[in-house]
Amino acid sequence: MNYFHLYKRATITACFLISFLASANAQTDTATTPKKTTEDEDFSMYDEVGFVDQSAKRYCSPKIEGLSPAKLISLGFDFQGPYKMTLDTFNNNINQGSPENGISTVTSGARFSCNIPVVSKTSLVWQMGANYWESGYNITNQTTAASGYVENPMLKSLQSNGLRTMGVNTTLFKPLNDKNFLLFQGSADMSGDYDWNLMPAKFMKYSAALIYGKRPSEKKQWGLGLSRTYRAGELNYIPILLFNYTDAANKWGTEILFPARAHVRRTINSRNMIFAGYELEGQSYRLYRMESIRNQDLEIRRAEIRLRLVYEFSLKDFLWMSIQAGYRINYRYDVDRLNNGEEIFRAFGLLSKEPYIMKNTLTNPFYFNISLNLVSP
Amino acid sequence: MKKLLLIAIIAFFGTILSSFVYQDNAGDRLIGVWEPSNGRARVKVEKIGAKYYGKIVWLKEAIDPVTKQPKVDKNNPDPNLQNIPLKGFRMLKDFIYAGKDEWNEGTIYDPLNGSTYSCTIKMTDKNSLEIRGYIGVSALGRTDIWKRLEVKKK
Repeated sequence: MNYFHLYKRATITACFLISFLASANAQTDTATTPKKTTEDEDFSMYDEVGFVDQSAKRYCSPKIEGLSPAKLISLGFDFQGPYKMTLDTFNNNINQGSPENGISTVTSGARFSCNIPVVSKTSLVWQMGANYWESGYNITNQTTAASGYVENPMLKSLQSNGLRTMGVNTTLFKPLNDKNFLLFQGSADMSGDYDWNLMPAKFMKYSAALIYGKRPSEKKQWGLGLSRTYRAGELNYIPILLFNYTDAANKWGTEILFPARAHVRRTINSRNMIFAGYELEGQSYRLYRMESIRNQDLEIRRAEIRLRLVYEFSLKDFLWMSIQAGYRINYRYDVDRLNNGEEIFRAFGLLSKEPYIMKNTLTNPFYFNISLNLVSP
Repeated sequence: MKKLLLIAIIAFFGTILSSFVYQDNAGDRLIGVWEPSNGRARVKVEKIGAKYYGKIVWLKEAIDPVTKQPKVDKNNPDPNLQNIPLKGFRMLKDFIYAGKDEWNEGTIYDPLNGSTYSCTIKMTDKNSLEIRGYIGVSALGRTDIWKRLEVKKK
């Protein structure tokens, strides 16, 4: 056999090999490239299907269709005022402070929160979050019934230190099947008049809620549960109701977690939504920073109802803006002195009639809040 | 001797070529019909050129309750595309097989809000996908589990 024949045979063999491999590849491409266009594909063949993995289960989603997008990161500013405060004197033999009437103030502060998914799977969604809210008090015409000067230590602290809340929270959504789910939310917050030196961790307030819910359709979910909350200013254990709904036309809906908040939603389109409703906001704030009252275990029980209109819209892609304006109704702004640091659980007066050491009243101003939000997929 | 050498060379190149074919086909395990966890849609993944695409082939609620017509992509930010039927719409685009059971460099479109997200796909077993849509960085995202479907012959 001469070289020519050998070369010829090798070339034929190589061509055969290459053409075989190319053919195999082409067959793959033929198999994977859609033979039909969208227009002429028979979609009815996908009506009757089954999971290849027979053990696969369907789980319900945490969201429903039409719900406003969840906020991953939010940075905002809140402004209330002006309004008048009428502060009681401290009693219970504390003998500090004097009554204050007709104090005008405005309250404002920055608000930051984030919620980052840690586990985001079909069978479990777990988010961790953090928040920082501050309320600065700009008091303009202090008058004192007795001396003409501000003596009330609470007022002094509000004026010079303001109030702030900083905390962490977690949310667990556990679908049980394609209709039922459990929702747990827990948070630990440090609220008071502290500065960057913070306060001891023992002053943290812990809140939690557990809901058992149903999601009967893509456009409705509801649930019932129990919460430990400070939203009414002081510790309470209250039942809660979840009800999220979107109508068939995707124009109207509700987003309700009663009693914390309830809104009717009007969807202009998927990137423009208007809400009307209320939110109950509150917390117990430790008066810690002023040494003269630090050891008296004083906490402001602050709760307010915000009747409001909210407009949320997409600025660009996932960056949304929220503008809310409404009327802030004072629900409680009283002061408790804790007994040996223990919480007072009144259950709205059903379990305890223990009086507050200060009963304060606030008039109700208009307020607005504006925030930029990065929303979740 | 030379004949043997030639056969060895052919075998060598043949092995290299076949490995390319194997590499190319390894990503094809993504091809098929899949169902997102909410069961609201079914998505058929196909390969076009070297990339993978997924189109909606079934909708749980295929008819718009207002117009009584097949649903269209009414939330698309581009008004010119708002009349495109959702059935047949490519919601997964431009995925490239990156090896190790992962496909990336693609995007996923959510017809519910008209947003397009960066997306990675990981095959956790031959019948399960982890589809992660995210904004900018992977941490700011959400993962959904899709299951492979078997189309029953009629």
